[in-house]
Amino acid sequence: MGLMDVLLKYVRKNVSVKVALLLTPPLIFLAVWFYAPFLIVGLYSFDMINIYREITFTPSLVHYSRVLSWTGASGIFLRSLYFAGINVLLCLLLGYPVAYYISFKVKKYKDVYIILFIIPFWVSFLIRTYAMMGLLDERSFFNTILLSLAIIDSPIKIMYTDVAVILVMVYDYLVMMVLPLYANLEKLDKTLLEAASTLGAGPVRTFLKVTLPLSMPGIMAGFLLVFIPSVGEFVIPELVGGPSNYMVGNIIYEIFMGARHWWVGSALSMLFIAFILSLVIIYIRGVGERGLAI
Amino acid sequence: MKVIRSFLKIFTVMVFLFLYSPIIAMVIFSFNESKSLAVFTNFSLKWYEKVIANPEVWRALYNSFWVGAVVTIISLILGLMMAMAVTRYSFTGKTILESFILIPIIIPEIAEALSLMMMYIFLNIPLGPVTVIIGHIAFDISFVTVVMRARMVGYDKSIEEAARTLGANELQTFFRITLPTLYPAILAAGLLAFTLSFDDLIKTLFTTGPGFKTLPLVIWSYAARGGVSPELNSLSSFALSISFLFAIFRLRAERRMGR
Amino acid sequence: MVNRRDVFKVAVAGVLGLAIGGVGGYISRQGEMESLKKEVVELSKQLGVAAPKLEPNLNIYNWTYYINRNIVDWWAKENGVQIVYDTFESLDEVVAKLQTGTSGYDLAVVSDSPLQELANLGVLEPIDLRKIPNFKYVPDRFKNPRYDPGNKYSVIYSYGTTGLGWNNEEVSPEVTAWADVFEVDRHLGKYKGKITMHSDSVETYGAALIYLGRDPNSTKDEDLREAIELLKKQKPYLAGYASTEEYMAGLEAGRFLISHAYNGDIAGLMYASDEREITISKKLEHISYTVPEEGALAWADNFVIPKGAKNIEAAHAFINFILDPIVSAICTITVKYPFPAGRDYVPEEIRSDPVIFTPEELLGKLYWTRPLTPEERAKRAEYWLELMAA
Repeated sequence: MGLMDVLLKYVRKNVSVKVALLLTPPLIFLAVWFYAPFLIVGLYSFDMINIYREITFTPSLVHYSRVLSWTGASGIFLRSLYFAGINVLLCLLLGYPVAYYISFKVKKYKDVYIILFIIPFWVSFLIRTYAMMGLLDERSFFNTILLSLAIIDSPIKIMYTDVAVILVMVYDYLVMMVLPLYANLEKLDKTLLEAASTLGAGPVRTFLKVTLPLSMPGIMAGFLLVFIPSVGEFVIPELVGGPSNYMVGNIIYEIFMGARHWWVGSALSMLFIAFILSLVIIYIRGVGERGLAI
Repeated sequence: MKVIRSFLKIFTVMVFLFLYSPIIAMVIFSFNESKSLAVFTNFSLKWYEKVIANPEVWRALYNSFWVGAVVTIISLILGLMMAMAVTRYSFTGKTILESFILIPIIIPEIAEALSLMMMYIFLNIPLGPVTVIIGHIAFDISFVTVVMRARMVGYDKSIEEAARTLGANELQTFFRITLPTLYPAILAAGLLAFTLSFDDLIKTLFTTGPGFKTLPLVIWSYAARGGVSPELNSLSSFALSISFLFAIFRLRAERRMGR
Repeated sequence: MVNRRDVFKVAVAGVLGLAIGGVGGYISRQGEMESLKKEVVELSKQLGVAAPKLEPNLNIYNWTYYINRNIVDWWAKENGVQIVYDTFESLDEVVAKLQTGTSGYDLAVVSDSPLQELANLGVLEPIDLRKIPNFKYVPDRFKNPRYDPGNKYSVIYSYGTTGLGWNNEEVSPEVTAWADVFEVDRHLGKYKGKITMHSDSVETYGAALIYLGRDPNSTKDEDLREAIELLKKQKPYLAGYASTEEYMAGLEAGRFLISHAYNGDIAGLMYASDEREITISKKLEHISYTVPEEGALAWADNFVIPKGAKNIEAAHAFINFILDPIVSAICTITVKYPFPAGRDYVPEEIRSDPVIFTPEELLGKLYWTRPLTPEERAKRAEYWLELMAA
């Protein structure tokens, strides 16, 4: 029995060693290239790295207090929450009926319908956003049609407004609401609905008392998948919005790239990340681990 | 009943229209002869000619592909290791580990991208294709792990044990039994990883170096500066067709695998 | 399992294809480089001139639309240099990159005030004027500038002012002052929704502070507070805050009637020229540019060599090339910004156009920016963000 055989035997017997061997490379990679960067951000935020990129061991909360005392900061945070909130609501309002229709009312070719729904989302986020820009532009055919039908008498100028940002957000995120909803609705036990109608409940009551509550996990999953990323959205306000519609992501970009104040920018980023994480924690506490099984 | 059904049907159709019209409009107008976004004058390929004649586009396309390939391979390897550890064994700290795996998915992309850029600069690492690749992998590993884990649930280890009793060693078992059985999971995760890397914008934007552009970066620089334009319509339609091909490929692969 | 093997085969074929294509492309490009180099060496031998020993790669970072690309490509081929030419639309981008000290660029163009900042941070390589014999063609007033005494780190590229570009057909009366875009009873109210200010906060702060009669570089709370209040009042009347590409497109299309703009951008709209023919044809008569009577910001862009540049020889050679009077003239005609070394060689029309070559009389009304510390910038940024959030 050589050394190799002894080692192999040890490895085989010992689960922890196996696990350690399997986990080490990926964890090291993540530790270095995902978590360490946030450590650097943290150091900057606590003023522990100076302008010559040396680490100083004098932590300070000066940058945090600066962010928190901004009169403009809270406005932008609120606006981000507001946009993300409306985005989720609209996605729900638009997405639920579609998911419901395909799941309940379509007899044959359900798969086809769902795939047809997903097809626009095979295109990348960026291209979808750009396509929407084409429609929202003043000179688009959408405006021309409305003009010629005399529904409006001057082109709708939506670009660079709040409406544009929200509209494009809904367009980009809709699928993230519909898919979990659809999956949930599909898994529903249809016999429950039959039971409800046998007991005399009309379609509306059946929906409100049976379907809706049972689809809550799907709604919650959709909420998570839409709300959390949209709060930090950067691309959409940059492309279809202007400085008046900036969200937290854009402000962070401005501070890093424009003011080049890495310290305040880091403090803001840390606060933002903490905010997002707490939202997720609240979600988990409220919904349970099931919600994360996407 | 009938009324509700019709309402739902119309509603669904309208939503579908909403989803398709921007994209279809973009593709149609990419073939428009005039610069107009409103009136289709004549069928013309001239904008496509411009796009195809632009070497920047080809270089970006090439970069997107090979970066995607490298990212996919490495993410698959690392993700598979993580997924195997998590599904086959139970150990202390497993739940914490699972949260750690999910964090990259939750954190806003711009925070990730900026932090990575700051670290590269702090360590004096010059930005370029390598830094881009690393950034993509750090993000993709989590997705790969989640997808693979979902498909590995219920994996039966008894075949492996049988192979072992028949005399196969670790390596042989892995390559002859485990890997082929996991093939659908690997394919799904791999295609996802590739798509995420190919379409990535924000991380790439902050971690790329001089002259190194990917396709989304090219589209972004034109869109952010000049807004809507016929050339960009053609470029985007072109990129769209690539995504489509990939998606169809993915769909057929999944069909064959029987999900 | 036939299907799986097919998929596998396709994947392998794809990867192999990419690899072969990539390697093939690389090899053929190297081959091209080699043969070009050989040609250059041969030619030099025939002329009895020492062949330039230039490294093959040169990474340049410059403003958009700021050079004649054909001339650049020609130079690249002549010298066997492979050029990577990246562009930026805002000063913040180039400064952010150069500040790191590992930008990867061999040559960049930055404006005067960030230049001082970067020099102080130690992220610029010194320039060896002995390698730039054409420096002698630069007019004296652009040599030895106050922002870089002795031209230690920079060589003049171009210069200009930031004022108001406007549509003289649709807008009346004439635009003459910042007051026109800050006071509602003047152009601001009349052309609501068709006016843009600059997206660079330094420029827009500058305009507001100059209008208020303050120092455009001020970081005093009272000044910034007043400026932001003024800007907030102006904001609802604006179409937005636009940068070069945006306002050039907007003015041309008629979506914007008055834009806070760089002089050369407006000149670029007024004249057209073909990059190959180097001829001028007046394109748009209805666009004008004015330096507001209260004053305006002036700036000078300069070549710099970032720290960590790998090809310093070629960077110097390129600078020298651009400073050749003919080449400078060509660039002036193409981009409509003045390249000082070529002034005597541009057509009279361009030389005497006040939009391109800022007249001496105006110099008294011009302000220069000064570099700010991160703290000062952060303070300005706070107020600016307040404006953005409004």
